[in-house]
Amino acid sequence: MEKSIERCLSETCSMDGVIGSVLADQQGLCLGVKGKASISSSGVITAIADQVAKLEPASKNPIIVLENDTNQCLIQRADRATVAIFKTSNPVN
Amino acid sequence: MLSVDRIPDQVGYLVMTEDGAVVSSGGELENGERIANVVAGLISLCDKVDSTAFPGDKGFKKITVNYEDHAYVICLSNKKVYVVKRKTSPQPPMETDLSSNIS
Repeated sequence: MEKSIERCLSETCSMDGVIGSVLADQQGLCLGVKGKASISSSGVITAIADQVAKLEPASKNPIIVLENDTNQCLIQRADRATVAIFKTSNPVN
Repeated sequence: MLSVDRIPDQVGYLVMTEDGAVVSSGGELENGERIANVVAGLISLCDKVDSTAFPGDKGFKKITVNYEDHAYVICLSNKKVYVVKRKTSPQPPMETDLSSNIS
């Protein structure tokens, strides 16, 4: 199971502009991390996904995008896991 | 005073203070106290997401919550939080896109 998670996270990190990705379980515990991302962010991404789920509880899980001029953080909750992808247009970062 | 009405595809808006009190609202978000409270909680969570991925980051400027056919766009300006609900055209999943390119 770990291998498929690792492979999926690695594939994500190899995409253009992606610097890191994190996968967390329903409780916010880290299932996997790749690239420039912190294990400790798994809790906060799950909390963000849970909070957004309160917006429209009847709708399908949305994609949450947090952004500033150079960075983007994409978060989506699936059935039993939450994934966050960190992107930047500033390669120095 | 507000030009929120002029945003293309806008179906509702909410102007609120940072602590979640609604200043003005309109469209589908009229009197959206519940949405305002959820957004206030969301903003406090988004303060510092990952300092390893984005070192020295000053936080985020915009939050977008994308559903299938609509999206909420959240911005902070002049100590007020602006929430706009917009209709969007549904995007096909990426797999469908790729297969249609091959065939």
